[in-house]
Amino acid sequence: MVNPLPLVQSVPSPGEAAAPLWRRLYRRKGPPSLFLLLCLNLIIAPAVQGATGPQLLRTQAYALGILGLVTILLSGYLFVVMFQPERF
Amino acid sequence: MNRTTKRRRDRKHTPKVEMAGLYQRAIQDAFHKLDPRIAVRNPVMFLVWVGTVVTALVTLDPNLFGTVAAPPNPQRVLNGSITVILFFTVWFANFAEAVAEGRGKAQADSLRATRSDTMARKVLPDGSTQSLPSTALRRGEQVKVMAGEMVPADGEVVAGLASVDESAITGESAPVLKQPGTDIASSVTGGTRVISDELLIRVTADPGQGFIDRMIALVEGAERRKTPNEIALTVLLTVLTQVFLIVVATMLPLATYVKTPTTIAILISLLVALIPTTIGGLLSAIGIAGMDRVAQFNVIATSGRAVEACGDVNTLVLDKTGTITLGNRLAEEFIPVDGHGLGDLAQVALASSIFDETPEGRSIGQLAERLGATLEFNRATVEGVEFSARTRMSGIDLADGRQIRKGAVDAIKGFVRSRGGHLTPELDTAYEKVSKLGGTPLAVCQDGEVYGVIYLKDRVKPGIKERFDQLRRMGVRTIMLTGDNRITAAVIAQEAGVDDFIAEATPEDKIEVIRREQSQGKLVAMTGDGTNDAPALAQANVGLAMNSGTQAAKEAANMVDLDSDPTKLIDLVTIGKQLLITRGALTTFSIANDIAKYFAIIPTIFSAAGIGALNVMGLKSPQSAILSALIYNALIIPTLIPLALKGVQFRPLTADQLLRRNILIYGLGGVMAPFLAIKLIDWVIPIP
Repeated sequence: MVNPLPLVQSVPSPGEAAAPLWRRLYRRKGPPSLFLLLCLNLIIAPAVQGATGPQLLRTQAYALGILGLVTILLSGYLFVVMFQPERF
Repeated sequence: MNRTTKRRRDRKHTPKVEMAGLYQRAIQDAFHKLDPRIAVRNPVMFLVWVGTVVTALVTLDPNLFGTVAAPPNPQRVLNGSITVILFFTVWFANFAEAVAEGRGKAQADSLRATRSDTMARKVLPDGSTQSLPSTALRRGEQVKVMAGEMVPADGEVVAGLASVDESAITGESAPVLKQPGTDIASSVTGGTRVISDELLIRVTADPGQGFIDRMIALVEGAERRKTPNEIALTVLLTVLTQVFLIVVATMLPLATYVKTPTTIAILISLLVALIPTTIGGLLSAIGIAGMDRVAQFNVIATSGRAVEACGDVNTLVLDKTGTITLGNRLAEEFIPVDGHGLGDLAQVALASSIFDETPEGRSIGQLAERLGATLEFNRATVEGVEFSARTRMSGIDLADGRQIRKGAVDAIKGFVRSRGGHLTPELDTAYEKVSKLGGTPLAVCQDGEVYGVIYLKDRVKPGIKERFDQLRRMGVRTIMLTGDNRITAAVIAQEAGVDDFIAEATPEDKIEVIRREQSQGKLVAMTGDGTNDAPALAQANVGLAMNSGTQAAKEAANMVDLDSDPTKLIDLVTIGKQLLITRGALTTFSIANDIAKYFAIIPTIFSAAGIGALNVMGLKSPQSAILSALIYNALIIPTLIPLALKGVQFRPLTADQLLRRNILIYGLGGVMAPFLAIKLIDWVIPIP
């Protein structure tokens, strides 16, 4: 005997629907890290502009801030290679 | 071409590998390796990769990180040129690695072709056979293979006697005889072909875990891990890169302070010129090429670590028979003792050898027959006694109770004493006579009565003394192991020029000598083929098993010689040393290069600060200086690819001599070459 299909299907709430998306985002570390870096740059860029004076535009200060953060990340990556070389 | 190189070249006979399309595949792979998830595994080149991205951004907008004094278009051209050169620096490094991997992949493809899914004839419990695909076979099952059919899986011969063509694996066209019961000839490999008669085989490997499957994984580099030396060098290169990154990153405020503002693109150029990109780009190619050189000798290494260990080996433990001597010892003379005649001795010697199928045993029978000996009994009525490493003798037990034995003189003496026999000094005289000729003396007795001594003649391989001389110059000590007595061993050892020998050795002595050497901090290499060699092969730093050997030996060793030639261990030491020397030479060259590149770029950055005197090369302009240094930096990688793949020419010199030579060639050369090349590029490129 074939089971009849349920007449009413439960509709997921917006929170339930977003859960798989959130889990996928949480599992991928790239986007949240990038977001945090951009947030950090909100603090660094004005400091860079304040230190260099008016010759640096706001966009240039933000770009320089990101470049500084990339350099620090690269330095951190090199430290990881130094201490855990077998991972690479 | 010197004699050693010629001999090594002659020994190479790799199975046919399809090399067409190697470079097209390498070009494609070099682009695939630009994927940041792959690029991140090479720290030096990853920095260049990130630098390329940043210079690409400043090509699009030269004022991205600050307003530059120069007009935007010329600045864009300069930044664009830097981006292109940096891109090719990364790509060339990827290409070097891809070319090195290419040969292994081609070899893997050629092996895959031999591993076709053949149909197997599985033997069922009732004795009937069932046809099924070879992939459905499992360990422990039995299959029947007829003449002309492919062996469906790795296994041990249970019954039958057949010739097997193993050329698909070894490249050797001569068929090999396979039969049950012997350590050496009973193992068969899936993918080989039975060319006569038939075999009953017990499968010893499940599908996907056979010898060819493991070989494919190894030559393809799927299981390649960084070796300890590679890891140490990676750490050194990373430390240098880290130092230069910090120096260059802090140079921007410094340049501004001394009123010589510089651009990000120029700072990235300085960083790339200073970090050791040459060795960083070629490091993995050198390691892969080392594995490939071993594979060209028809030897499969389980890891790069094993190849590298060959180069560090201090002691070689070698079997006498087959490695130092030709191995086919033949009976040369019978020496009767205790009043027995030559005919009597020949008669007993023939009887003792009727079940001995070794070349030595057969040659004893032939010599006895030439002397007129005949069998005086029915073969079916006697019982054979097999040789064992413990008893060190073999023979027969006759139906009337008589026991005939042949074996090592000490073992026969013990046997004669146990039967209440009497020993005379005549036996010792004959024993010493044969030993002093470098031959192996075998005593023959019947019950308590010694009949005489058989002289087995052994010949030292031609050229082996020179090889040992070379090894000695490289600081490698050789120890010969033999079951022969002390006098014979001493004669052969002197003739072959080995440093030390162990006579009357048992399989346990092998592992003992390895442990003793290792306890003195030495790395030991050895060869073996029998099951009783397996513990020693596992204990040695480099264990080379013969392909004709047992499964246990092959699994315990970290290298397998497909041609089953134990002399290859000496070639492997040479290849290992060549790998280490190549890596050291290119590291020295790469670091020495930095000096010239530094003097090309630094005066450019600080030209306004009055350090123009540092422009020792007299380069025509700052832009030209930067581009020349970067073009040299990129081009030196493909220029050195052939050297990285082929290896620095090997010379049997001591460590001190090698160091002096490499510092002179690659150190001084590494300083001079870029000065000349950068000046030449500066002169050629059309930049004012």
